[in-house]
Amino acid sequence: MTVAEPTAAAPESIVEYTVRTIDVKREYRIGGEVVRALKGVTISVARGEYISIMGPSGSGKSTLFNMIGGLDKPSEGKVYIDEVDIAQLDAYELAWMRCRKIGYIFQTFNLIPVMTALENVMLPMVFAGLKTDEAQDKAADILKRVELGHRLMNKPSEMSGGQQQRVAIARAFANDPAIILADEPTGNLDLQTGKLIIELLRGLNKEKGVTIISATHDHKMLAVSDRIFWVRDGIVDKIQRRDELKIEEGVIEGAHGEALH
Amino acid sequence: MTSIPSPIPSSPDARGVQRQITLPMQKAVEIAYKNIRLRLSRSLLVTSGIVLAMAFLMSILCTDSVHAGMRGWLRAQDPAAINPQQSRGHPTERQQLITRMEDKGVATTAEEAEGGKMQTRWLLALALAVAFIGILNAMLMSVTERFREIGTMKCLGALDGFIVKLFLIESLFQGVVGTFIGVLLGLALSLIAASISFGRFAWLNLPVGAILLSTLACLAIGIVLTVAGAVYPAWQAARMQPIEAMRVET
Repeated sequence: MTVAEPTAAAPESIVEYTVRTIDVKREYRIGGEVVRALKGVTISVARGEYISIMGPSGSGKSTLFNMIGGLDKPSEGKVYIDEVDIAQLDAYELAWMRCRKIGYIFQTFNLIPVMTALENVMLPMVFAGLKTDEAQDKAADILKRVELGHRLMNKPSEMSGGQQQRVAIARAFANDPAIILADEPTGNLDLQTGKLIIELLRGLNKEKGVTIISATHDHKMLAVSDRIFWVRDGIVDKIQRRDELKIEEGVIEGAHGEALH
Repeated sequence: MTSIPSPIPSSPDARGVQRQITLPMQKAVEIAYKNIRLRLSRSLLVTSGIVLAMAFLMSILCTDSVHAGMRGWLRAQDPAAINPQQSRGHPTERQQLITRMEDKGVATTAEEAEGGKMQTRWLLALALAVAFIGILNAMLMSVTERFREIGTMKCLGALDGFIVKLFLIESLFQGVVGTFIGVLLGLALSLIAASISFGRFAWLNLPVGAILLSTLACLAIGIVLTVAGAVYPAWQAARMQPIEAMRVET
């Protein structure tokens, strides 16, 4: 963690926040009815933290996740990414942010089917304006880091789910982002593969000091998270640190068991 | 999490947010080319849809022109002219053509054609509708099945303009190739059909100017429809929040 610049007055701001939300509300209009997906969420995530957002489907978890990732705009409230109010960004700045500051990992991998592993990882670099040969070298290096050095020229359809997700992780890290947003990254993977993916993410989190925020149902994720945000009914119900978690592990399983599915 | 950190009123630039760069056309061409090559079978299917629609439209227009040309030739002949052969029981060329045209149910005089104009117009409208709906449907399908891809690209930092550019190039290629083949196919088929039905008469007074005009019109219609049919939905998808584009079930 680094010391914040002097403009930050509040004592909490000694920590450099990668993500902050202030009283974020999000309403959808479905048919004639207004659905209040988020009812005022205020959270802060420090640089380098590994956060899991837990909650049942329909809890507002995905909505919160999308807000944090700049994938959706709040109806009310503020979202700051690296202390920038994302509501104030125009399309060009938002695209730059998505390209350079945020890396996305999806449950369904979302690789571009016609591109090889290498080309998929190169794509964000191409968008960032890197020269082709530079991008090629860098992409190959990252793919080696996720142990796919032997699969550079394979298309997504020629790879297993775990391998595809590792390509997606490599792609998310392509432009050395500050934040990695992972939406149910283990949701489509078997237990063992899921475990490897979580370990990989945790390893990269430590190694690169990148903030990882992950929406998940997966209990395996809890063990590696620095903090867990429990979302329920459009609000953050509870925030737990990992050390707190260990003490009351039994309680969590009991209290939130029904909420985990 | 105890208290709310005070919001820092920050202009984006103060924290080093920059503007995303616009990719050079060359990159878009590269990616579009790769897309067409790797989705060749899908691309061929879409293109053949364009070919069929344009062949249909072109053949209707061309056949109509050929008939009009033959009527013009008939008009120019003197109906009273008697050639030496007729005295020996042979019909004049004019009579031969009239017989052939009547056999095929084709109007022989401008007045008669005027009566059947409604029918011709219907046929033309139908051909146009087939081209419109056929091409728009093919392009719409090929774009919607890639909505998720569009959303993903936006997440990776693609600007709306880049996505539009990508689909513009792809559809332009398909449109030009498909329309050219379709128009030539329609032209060839209708001329062959006319030659079979009317022999050399079809060529005696061929209204080359009118056919050329139809060809150009068809080329324009085909290419514009194809590009519009791809770019409009792609632009719609690009304007969506990426998460919405990815949520669209395909």
